[in-house]
This record gives sequence, structure tokens and C-alpha cells, in this order.
Amino acid sequence: MMRSENLSQLFSKLDDLKKVFTYGEKLIPVIQSLGEFMKETVPLLENINRSIAESTSKIPKATNQIQNVTSATEMATTEILDLVDSLNDDLTDIEKTMVEVLAKETDKKDFLMSLIPMLKKENAELFIKDFLNKNCSTEKLGVLLLQVGKMKNDSNSIALSLQVQDITSQQLATVNHLIESVQERLSSLIEDFDNTKIIEGQDNLNIPEGASFDPNARYSKSLVPQQEVDSIFSKEMQTASQAEIDKLFN
Amino acid sequence: MKKVILVADDSPTIRKFVSISLKVKGYEIIQVADGMQALEVLPSEQIDLVITDLNMPNIDGFELIKTIRTNEDYREIPIIILSSLSGNEDIEKGMQCGANAYLLKPFDSKRVLYEVSKFLN
Repeated sequence: MMRSENLSQLFSKLDDLKKVFTYGEKLIPVIQSLGEFMKETVPLLENINRSIAESTSKIPKATNQIQNVTSATEMATTEILDLVDSLNDDLTDIEKTMVEVLAKETDKKDFLMSLIPMLKKENAELFIKDFLNKNCSTEKLGVLLLQVGKMKNDSNSIALSLQVQDITSQQLATVNHLIESVQERLSSLIEDFDNTKIIEGQDNLNIPEGASFDPNARYSKSLVPQQEVDSIFSKEMQTASQAEIDKLFN
Repeated sequence: MKKVILVADDSPTIRKFVSISLKVKGYEIIQVADGMQALEVLPSEQIDLVITDLNMPNIDGFELIKTIRTNEDYREIPIIILSSLSGNEDIEKGMQCGANAYLLKPFDSKRVLYEVSKFLN
């Protein structure tokens, strides 16, 4: 009795085993094709890894280039500002001299005009006015002074526009910071993939310690942002109106 | 006697521009590149006014202003902020630290002169 039960169990197990083999037969081609797929994919992944590693190693050079651009524009801007400064000094000297000459010319004109009533000779007024027209330069000096004033304003506008360099350098510093973050991410990805350290032996990132920049720096001549600042400050302090500022310089 | 203005900004362009703007009115300008240098200059010079950026290495503008305001020798010096930071929180923080004025970059030289003359004349 026991024998027959054991045999029945044995046959059942054999039947299960047969099913496993049948399933295995079906599975083998799938595993084989998976193996082939892996064979093809691994070199591709290695290729991708190599490309990322190469690109990542070039990032420090890119950031250095950006910093070189910042340094070069900074130097050029400072040189231009030095020239503008020197130009302003010259114009101020010219303006000062012209004001002095104008004052003397005005005195001369006033003196000659005061002679007219004293001279009894006919045509004296005509004679003096004609002399003044030919020899007195008050009007021309006045025009020249206006032109010098305009030149000074223009040179101030040039200096004002050169502030764009500061804003640009802040924007470039922001880009450098972003590139650094991308490099860190890529490096850790590659390290996870094949345990290689990308930065080792390559150019190090040259972002100065404590670098400070405003990622939202914008170059704009609009008065609106300053007016908004003034409105915040005006809650506690007295701020300037444009009319007050102009009054100070006119 | 010439009034002395301390300009703290890590941008040489801005320092130069501020100097050009203020020179026309006869102010003497001392330029430094960060807050730490500014604090080194303060004990050795008679500074009448400070113009400072906010984003600076080592010691930033907020820290510089706080340090000046908590020092009995310098707490009365007027301080003008020159910054590209235009967020309300930065402006309010600048004011809370003790700045007397806040000018946004890029700035007009006339406006800087106006603010300076307001405190020094």
C-alpha cells in the first residue's frame, strides 16, 4: 500500500520536473537573446561612459576660459574708464579756463559799452559795436562751453554704460557655478558606473573660494527698480526725487 | 579738509566708476575689494562715509554694515549700499542692518553724488 503511494508521489514529482524542463526549454532562447543583447549593450554603455568622461574632463577648461573672458573684459573696461577719467579731467580744465576767458571778455564788452555815452563823437556807438563784433568772443565762448558740457555728459554716459561689465561678470560667474554643478553630477555618475575618478589628473576647477555673485544680475537703465527700492526705504527715510537730484547739478 | 569715502566692491569696474563720479566734487576715495579689507582700513583712516556692495568675498556687505553699526567708533558713519540685488528681502535686510541708502546697479553717477552730498554736506 505504502509502496503504491510513494510511487504515485514520485510520478507526480517527475511530472513537475518535466514541466520545469519544458518551461526551461522555452526560456533558454529568451536568456540567450538577453545575453546577446547585453553583449551589444555593454560596449555601447562603455562608449557613452567614455564620452561623458571626456566631456566632463573638458569642463574645467571651459570654466577657465569663461574666467579669462571676465578678467580680460575687466581689464579693458578699467583701461577705458581710466581714459574717460582723464578725458573728464581735461574737459574740466578746458571748461574752467573758458569760464575765466568768458568773464574777461564780458568785462571788456561791458567796459567798451560803458564808453558809448561818454563819447560825443557821431557814430561812436556804431564804431564800438562794430569793434566788439570783430574782437569780442563772448557768444562763441558761450556756444563752446555748451559743447564742452555736452562732451562731459557724453563721457559720463560712456562710464555709466561700462557698468555692464560688472553685470556680465556676475552672469558669467553664475554660468561657471552651473557648469561646476553639472561636472559634479557627471563625475559622481561615472564613479558609480566604473569606479573611476574623473577629476583626478585633470585640470582642477578654478572657481575662486568665496566667489560672490548675484545670479539675477541684469543690466537695465530703467528707473523703475530704483524707484521700488526708494519706496521701501522711504518708509523710514527721506529719499530723493529726480527734480531734487537735477537741481543739485544744474 | 577733504571728506574721505571708503568704497568696498569686488568689481574694479564699479570701484573705478564710483571714484570717477565722486572725484568731481573733490572727495577723497579709498578703494577696497571686500568687507574684510574695509574693516582693516577703518581704524587707520578717518572715514566720513562708506559705500559698499553686498555680494563680496570674505566678509559681505551685510556683515560689514552690521560690524560698523555695532562699533562705537564707527557707528555714526553713513553707509550707502550699491548692489544689483533687487529683491525686497535684500533691500529690507540692508535697511535693518543699518544702511542709510540703497542704490541699484547699474547706477547713475548723479544719484550717487546726490546721496553722498546729502550725508556729507
